[in-house]
Amino acid sequence: MKCIVTGGNVKALGKAIHSLARVGDEIYVEPLQEGLSMRTVSASRSAYASFLFAPLFFQNYQPTESGYDPDSEAFRCKVHMKSFLAVFRSLPSLEKTVEKCLLSLNPHASRFRVQLHCKYGVVKTHDLPFQECESLQADFDTSQCAHALRAPPRLLADAVVHFPLALAEVTLVASPAGKVSLRSYLEGDTEVTRTMVTELGLNEDEFQTFHIKQEAQITFCLKEFRGLLSFAESSNLSLNIYFDTPGRPAIFTLDDAVLQVHLVLATLEEPESCSSQMTSCTPKPLAPAYDFTGDDIDDYMIAMETTCGGPAGTEPLPSPTFPMGPTSSEAQEPDSDHEGTVPGTPPQKRVRIKGLPQTNYRHEVKNVALPICCFVVLLGTCKMI
Amino acid sequence: AGIFQEFMVQEESVMFRINLSVLLDCLTIFGTSSSPGTQTALRMCYRGYGYPLTLFLEEGGVVTVCKINTQEPEEILDFDFCSTNVVNKIILLSEGLREAFSELDMTSEVLQITMSPNKPYFRLSTFGNAGSAYLDYPKDSDLIEAFHCNQTQTNRYKIALLKPSIKALALSCKVSIRTDNRGFLSLQYMIRNEDGQICFVEYYCCPDEDITEQEI
Amino acid sequence: MRFRGKLVDVACLNHFTRVVNTITKLAKTCTLRFTVDKIYFILNDKVANGGVSMWCELNQENFFDEFQMEGVAAEDNEIYLELTSENFSRALKTAQNAKAVKVKLTNKQCPCLTVAVELPSLSSSSRIVTHDIPVGIIPRKLWNDFREPSVPDFDVSIYLPVMKTMKSVVDRMKNLSNSIVIEANQKGEMNLKIETDLVSVATHFKDLGNPPWVPEHASQNSTEKRHPETMAEARIDIKRLLQLLAGQQVNPAKALCNILNKRIVHFILLHEDFSLQYFIPALT
Repeated sequence: MKCIVTGGNVKALGKAIHSLARVGDEIYVEPLQEGLSMRTVSASRSAYASFLFAPLFFQNYQPTESGYDPDSEAFRCKVHMKSFLAVFRSLPSLEKTVEKCLLSLNPHASRFRVQLHCKYGVVKTHDLPFQECESLQADFDTSQCAHALRAPPRLLADAVVHFPLALAEVTLVASPAGKVSLRSYLEGDTEVTRTMVTELGLNEDEFQTFHIKQEAQITFCLKEFRGLLSFAESSNLSLNIYFDTPGRPAIFTLDDAVLQVHLVLATLEEPESCSSQMTSCTPKPLAPAYDFTGDDIDDYMIAMETTCGGPAGTEPLPSPTFPMGPTSSEAQEPDSDHEGTVPGTPPQKRVRIKGLPQTNYRHEVKNVALPICCFVVLLGTCKMI
Repeated sequence: AGIFQEFMVQEESVMFRINLSVLLDCLTIFGTSSSPGTQTALRMCYRGYGYPLTLFLEEGGVVTVCKINTQEPEEILDFDFCSTNVVNKIILLSEGLREAFSELDMTSEVLQITMSPNKPYFRLSTFGNAGSAYLDYPKDSDLIEAFHCNQTQTNRYKIALLKPSIKALALSCKVSIRTDNRGFLSLQYMIRNEDGQICFVEYYCCPDEDITEQEI
Repeated sequence: MRFRGKLVDVACLNHFTRVVNTITKLAKTCTLRFTVDKIYFILNDKVANGGVSMWCELNQENFFDEFQMEGVAAEDNEIYLELTSENFSRALKTAQNAKAVKVKLTNKQCPCLTVAVELPSLSSSSRIVTHDIPVGIIPRKLWNDFREPSVPDFDVSIYLPVMKTMKSVVDRMKNLSNSIVIEANQKGEMNLKIETDLVSVATHFKDLGNPPWVPEHASQNSTEKRHPETMAEARIDIKRLLQLLAGQQVNPAKALCNILNKRIVHFILLHEDFSLQYFIPALT
């Protein structure tokens, strides 16, 4: 395999690698007749991404070595994401100094070489270690998804920017009435009294396609989605989102004449037993938490009596941040579960996963990475062929 | 001594040791970026053995006095790098090396430098976890100001030892890379300060022994 | 108990955001107090913060276009909340080019301060972002812990030099030492000093001026007795001081500090529409 990328496409290639790097640790390179395919799957198999660069993306594209039977299977390999990313690490300098990029895979010489031709005739050559492998393919079908949305990348990028970077997952709620909202998803171990919940509402008319059959709600990981968005934004490609019921994978795609991008993300399956708690913790999906235009004084009533000098039994509400001083008659134990006593706070959420013993996660450190156990693992739909 | 407006040493030579990062913090006490219209004035005094090095800094009527305790000097390591023994020498614009150094694969223990009158002329190679990488500069590149290579030399230098010189590289406009017959490396950075005066910062580094022995 | 406020003016919104950012730099969690015409950010932490306390006060009408509140009771028409200040500044950060921002008290999964932001969109309707910041409601019997700290009977009161200069000096000194001695006299002179095994550094400021405190002030007697050149000093945690200096995004209209010899340093930063007091106790 040998191909040459020039001009602005070098940066696009670099951006693609960066966005693949948000998903997996290895990159599967497969030179096909229809283009160069680069794919990756996350360690937990809950996310899969694929970029297919058409021959026209390149100045020169030779999937197989000259002299070989063009019908024969091309050599495929996988390369460590870190190695690949190192070559394209600095996107600004890639844009500024690199004029041409050569990718060549020579199985006989055991060499996967990436060469960057830079300004002033400087040539950077990277020989990356690789492993021969089978093709990586995920089994998914956008036509099987009940719902579809299409939006310019800017819209979605502007939307996710409101969520903190540390937030792992987001819930997308779409209703046939023409409303889409994104909302912070709080994991089971989150302290509800500490964590800010953000919700953003978008209207149907901001989308290019709005195909929602019935009220739908999915929860997926933000990290990979952000990676794809950043690529979509830089190449100004509209993003398609196909999704179905919770637990079924969501498919995000970008289409261009020389490029096809797919990102498949597992979505959170909300066990029935849990969903009632979920809805009590978060604003109701159909009625947005807040209607900006029409609020009057009744909207923000909060009934919270903190009368002092009440009956002897009345205890002050415990403070979530400071340990209580000797103000209450029965001194509370410092590590007692005092959050639970705040009115309006639901009992601590417990994540229940079928087949696993009920686990209480609340003392675990919040994990920014994929909460694997919460996801319907794609294994089985994403198989090696 | 040209960068000082006044320079007076009463003894033949004075030598003492001070903590460099302390000196730097003292010199930049009013901040690193001088705001327009204000200039920091500096007076440095040393009374003699056993006394601290005293710095008087003044900016906009505010005076800072720093007394940096001096220590017994250590003997200076002499690399005995002599220009008559220089085998290969390349002068190039720092810009060309800056990016290369900033992107060096730090998982590689060594940086291998090849200088040669023939192809590849000037090559920097690393051998890290992410595979090997090398960077070739053509002899006629606009980055190269002077190219005087007499024989092919390939030497490895510990990246950890070269890393501190990146700071000087960042400030410099040109760098002269020389190797002598023993494979010792000299990096000489030309730094132009705000008044247009020129200073040189030199780094010397001995080659990684394993490879030189192999080659001899 | 109800509260609802609305910010429309961009300048007011930016200004309010800056105040909250400043608070965030000084206190991880703070107490927010609403009265009919004022908002206070209070930190009274005795131990966890190294005895540092903070009192920030602003007039709501300088910031809010609409401001309605009903306290716990008619006779105690106030609200005391406790929140993670970073949440508040993060919520306001997303409101940078907002058309309007509403801040209100709501009862979601727990009591929340809801920041609702109306953002411009490409379509006819605006985009709405809401941030629900969990808060703790502080009961009346604890309100006494959040009274305005009394101004100490200080020995010296002096105007501070330009914040930027002071910040860069303290910033360098922080690399060299953990504590700093701040000393000043009634002749407009102030010194910042550190001393370690390696180095001693002293920065001298002069002609700073001393604020004329009203004669009936309690400290008047002690100040008069002092010789104007006598220095009052305090050794304080350098990180606390830097926190205060680094958090100032705008140069205050007036900045001064009061030193109670070997006891406490009291900083007062007066801005046009808000004031910040910060107390750093002396190290022993």
